[in-house]
Amino acid sequence: MDILYLLIQNAYPTMTVLLIVALGGLLTERSGVTNIALEGIMIFGAFLGVWAIHGLEIYPFTVMTIIVMILVSLVWVISIALLIHFGLSKLGLKEFSLKRLNFKNPENKGYIAINIIFVIIFTGLIVLSFFVFGIPKQLILIIGIMIGGMVGALYAMIHAYASIHMKADQVISATALNLFAPAFAIFTARFIQRGQQIPFSSSFMIQKVPLLGDIPVIGDLFFSRVFISFYIALALLVILWIIVYKSKFGLRLRACGENPHAADSLGINIYKLRFKAVVLSGLFAGMGGVIFVISTSTEFNVTVAGFGFLAIAVLIFGNWRPRGILMAAIFFGFTKTLASSYTALPVLYDLGFQREYYELIPYIATLIILAFFSKNSQAPKALGQIYDQGKR
Amino acid sequence: MHEKKINMKDVIKNVGKVIYRGLKRAFIVMKPSLVAIGLGLLIGLIIMIIFDAGDAFPALGTLLIGGFNGGLRGIGNTLYQAAPIILTGLAVAFAFRTGLFNIGASGQMMMGAYVAIHIGVRYSLPGTLHWIVAFLAGMLAGAIWGLIPGLLKALSNVNEVVSSIMMNYIAGNLLIILIMRYVFNSSYSRSLNILRTAELPLLTSVFPGSTANIGIFIAIIVVVIAHIILHKTTLGFGLRASGFSMPGSKYAGMNTKANIITAMTLSGSFAGMAGAIAFLVVGKNIGTAFEIFPQGFDGISVALLGLGEPIGALFAGLFLANIRMGAFYMQRYSFVPQIIDMIIAVIVYVTAISSALQIVFKRYREQIKSWSKRIFKKKEGQ
Amino acid sequence: MAYKVEMRHITKIFGTLYANDDVTLQVKQGEIHALLGENGAGKSTLMSVLFGLYHPEQGDILIDGQPVVIKNPNDANRLGIGMVHQHFKLVDTFTVLDNIILGVEDTKNGIIQYDQAIKKLEHLIQTYKLHVDLKAYIKDITVGQQQRVEILKMLYRDADILIFDEPTAVLTPQEIHELMNIMRGFAKEGKTILLITHKLNEIKAVADICTVLRRGKKIGTVSVKDTSIETLAEMMVGREVSFSVDKPEINQGETIFKVEHLNVSGQGRHSVKDVSFEVHRGEILGIAGIDGNGQTELIHALTGLKPILSGQVSLMGSDITHLPIRKKYEIGMSHIPEDRQKHGVVMDFDLQSNLILQNYYQPQFQKHSFLKFDIIQDHANELINRFDIRSERGAKTIVRQMSGGNQQKAILGREISRNHELLIAVQPTRGLDVGAIEYIHSQLIAERNQQKAILLISLELEEIMNLSDRILVMYEGEIVGELDPKKTTVNELGLYMSGAKRGDVHA
Repeated sequence: MDILYLLIQNAYPTMTVLLIVALGGLLTERSGVTNIALEGIMIFGAFLGVWAIHGLEIYPFTVMTIIVMILVSLVWVISIALLIHFGLSKLGLKEFSLKRLNFKNPENKGYIAINIIFVIIFTGLIVLSFFVFGIPKQLILIIGIMIGGMVGALYAMIHAYASIHMKADQVISATALNLFAPAFAIFTARFIQRGQQIPFSSSFMIQKVPLLGDIPVIGDLFFSRVFISFYIALALLVILWIIVYKSKFGLRLRACGENPHAADSLGINIYKLRFKAVVLSGLFAGMGGVIFVISTSTEFNVTVAGFGFLAIAVLIFGNWRPRGILMAAIFFGFTKTLASSYTALPVLYDLGFQREYYELIPYIATLIILAFFSKNSQAPKALGQIYDQGKR
Repeated sequence: MHEKKINMKDVIKNVGKVIYRGLKRAFIVMKPSLVAIGLGLLIGLIIMIIFDAGDAFPALGTLLIGGFNGGLRGIGNTLYQAAPIILTGLAVAFAFRTGLFNIGASGQMMMGAYVAIHIGVRYSLPGTLHWIVAFLAGMLAGAIWGLIPGLLKALSNVNEVVSSIMMNYIAGNLLIILIMRYVFNSSYSRSLNILRTAELPLLTSVFPGSTANIGIFIAIIVVVIAHIILHKTTLGFGLRASGFSMPGSKYAGMNTKANIITAMTLSGSFAGMAGAIAFLVVGKNIGTAFEIFPQGFDGISVALLGLGEPIGALFAGLFLANIRMGAFYMQRYSFVPQIIDMIIAVIVYVTAISSALQIVFKRYREQIKSWSKRIFKKKEGQ
Repeated sequence: MAYKVEMRHITKIFGTLYANDDVTLQVKQGEIHALLGENGAGKSTLMSVLFGLYHPEQGDILIDGQPVVIKNPNDANRLGIGMVHQHFKLVDTFTVLDNIILGVEDTKNGIIQYDQAIKKLEHLIQTYKLHVDLKAYIKDITVGQQQRVEILKMLYRDADILIFDEPTAVLTPQEIHELMNIMRGFAKEGKTILLITHKLNEIKAVADICTVLRRGKKIGTVSVKDTSIETLAEMMVGREVSFSVDKPEINQGETIFKVEHLNVSGQGRHSVKDVSFEVHRGEILGIAGIDGNGQTELIHALTGLKPILSGQVSLMGSDITHLPIRKKYEIGMSHIPEDRQKHGVVMDFDLQSNLILQNYYQPQFQKHSFLKFDIIQDHANELINRFDIRSERGAKTIVRQMSGGNQQKAILGREISRNHELLIAVQPTRGLDVGAIEYIHSQLIAERNQQKAILLISLELEEIMNLSDRILVMYEGEIVGELDPKKTTVNELGLYMSGAKRGDVHA
């Protein structure tokens, strides 16, 4: 029984990465833009994200690391400040309404100034506490994931600009990103530190979540030997489902992917919307890249083992729906882990097949399943088509 | 009765005109690629200057001179490297023309390489026959590996990008299993050397010290054959029609399913040939660490730079191999050879947007033309 | 009194084409103002400018006497301008409700709130009798209902300047009548209606004023009741137009095309149910019906683009039911398809390649699989001359750069000149100007006079009435009536087309 739990726990990292990256892919493809650059974006995000983690682990901190800490702290403090305002104004306390932060209104200058001072103070406090107390391990990971995500989003803008505004072939500009990322990573890494691998020392695996991990069955299934990214992925799944199907952004996004001409005639800016979708997918892919590296090895070595492409397979397999993507990610997670964990199962070990046979299973299975299910493909109708206002 | 005097001066003038016109047209067609290459090199230069200004220009020079840096040996190795990517580029381009994206060229090349090695190691055939059989077997293996995604697409509407990616991974793992089973060199964890008789005839007499073989000639011949098929035959007519308009070709009575299958199979066979050419050399082995050959992805760049045409793939492949070799020689400076991959990435990116850039330029040119026309009309008091 | 809508000296250029050339339009409030012109005259372009989809190179727009700038449909909406497009801009996989609120959703924290919208829409539906199920998916409702959704989209946004772009193409005569009542109702309430159309009798029936455009220029503005149909037609085309077609009586030959108990799958009313008919030599059999009643599926099944569930189709005595498309051509079928750019041509091929699209493999055009390019070019030139196909670079022109009319002439020429006994023509004159329409009609009559069999599908009732020797009506996938064009009327056809009447079919 323990072996079964072990297998399931081992499957989570793969499943997590595929889930997150595929969800990002969902956003862009639903908006009508293909994005096979996920692999390259993952590598790019992983590179800088793991580098940040590496830097945060080393004491004393380098200048680079300090800058990163300040940036990240700023983002947090500002986000929390905005959230506080939002929450308080909803509760009826009008003095805290977001409108008071509007730069353009000269009356607000005083209030904004007070806010800025608070932001600076808190940011300083946070950075200081890092110096004094060190950074808790999981926080390092979260910072790393954030950096990876932000970097991924920026990198994806290059693809977004080309395929949306310059009306380039989406496959080609995506290929360019895939080619550039590993080369850039190796080049920069070798130049700065003489080697292309970036190690990190912490193991970020949470052996057991306090309290929740002690619950029989469920504790072993969901709260032991997990990474924090597991929970992040599940949270993102729910959030994304709400966004895509219940929000204004989601409705317009889907409209762009199904019939951009209709959306355009209703005044929706196709270019802006698709751009946002692609950038968001970059955010997710960048995060996925970092998560891949920390949950499957001890160093960044310029590869994400094709997970960027596998995520696309998961997306198509999942029929462009969050629920389907979850199922597909679980499937892949398990079949892939089988290859690395089969030695633990005496039944399989005795069969004498070498590891590569097990590695084949997810790919062959995908082909077979796709062969049966592609007839009912629910791909967004305008997927891959370049939107040109002139064509009516 | 008119007497025609054959005037040599006129003949030369006319021939010159034809050549000039041909070159001009070629230039216009190649413009997007040339612009892309120029921009790519420029950005590479800028990156190099940022990191180490002193060495930047000489390094760029070395890059462009490419294989010639190493004299005949360098040129020979360049040709050896070029042949496989010309063929994978051809594979991708050929599929492109039929409206398909063959991202599985790597897998097809790998299967071709393995089968060629298998025949080269385990069978003993008289001289010339041996390498010919091994080569053809490799081609066939690649063809089969391309056929599978083709069938899946034609019969079950499976997205060929996804299925090709799966085939790449299956090939990667299959290779390890097969090597370890049939052609294992356990001391070095790789495949055994092929027998001398299975080796493609080398060109060491012309390019001493290199691994140049007749693969480059094979590549050129195959490119020409592909060009003829695509542009001069009924098969090519049908394939191009399907690539431009699947519904249109269906209406016309063409067998679109057969076209998809044929295109992917041919595409796979080209990539299979690439594998055979690269590995039918004594001393070239495949390792048993998981790998997906990068030449498949180079093929994509080559196909794009070559603007989707077989002949384009030839020149683009030569160019790419040359600057790759240049990157190798560039290591005597402090720059890492990955600079070339970045340059190639930029070139691909610019190629992607260059057609849009051209349209934008054209639109501006036409706007200016029509505005000036209106000004003329108004001047004439209409 | 200020005009409600005034567009002054509008010029819109696409590349080198002057879609609108210094056009001025003045519309009073409460008016039903028709914009008349042939296809390509610039009517849709002008209204797209008004709706913010295009930006004019020159000219300005005034609403209620105030100059305005309309950069996008949102601006137009804010000014109270709404548009029902000719090709519906609806998302098939969304519900009616989602389609209507798209772009103007009520939200709370980003999540869409539907309650207010539903209330307002139910009120609008009751007031204007535009009944439709808000929760239904667009792909499941009829074309007439889809149009109501487009109208509701406008009303939901409080539009009081309503633009209708060719609204009647997809309606039965009875539905057209209803739509005109709805329009008159809007006008009485003070809303301003702009009606884009090329249908003269509809203008006569409902419009007050008519502005005529020709080739991008405004020809004139007239009061509808003081102007005759003939005058309007002349203004539209620039010369006298004859409305009748010269169709002599001829002897019909034997049946060469037979369809028996044909069943084809589709979505609900789109399928074909137990259809049987025959076509004789020297006969034009016309099939009338509202778009979406199975005609497309019928033709796709007959020509091989879609599989047949059951039944039999025979041509020249041979069973062609399940034959591959190429074989059908070889036995003697020609097909002018409904969607000329999707099926009829390969847009990125040159003209000469398109003219041998179906028979490039035949021995006259290839030897040992190598194409004989000089013969192919000669063949193309011959057809270019015979059928007056105009293009920039002749046989080598890329078809994408040719005009719609010339593309259709190329398709027509190819289908007629190939060896065939049966010609299936679907919407052969859609989107063409009067000159091209007259030409194509005369070619079809000539085919008929040469003892070919012709199956004509068209949504234009006048075309069906003028050309056909016999008319079948399709409704919900079945043949519901067989009529003699000399004895029936447009109204009677309309009753059959809307399912209100059924008759005996000898077919």
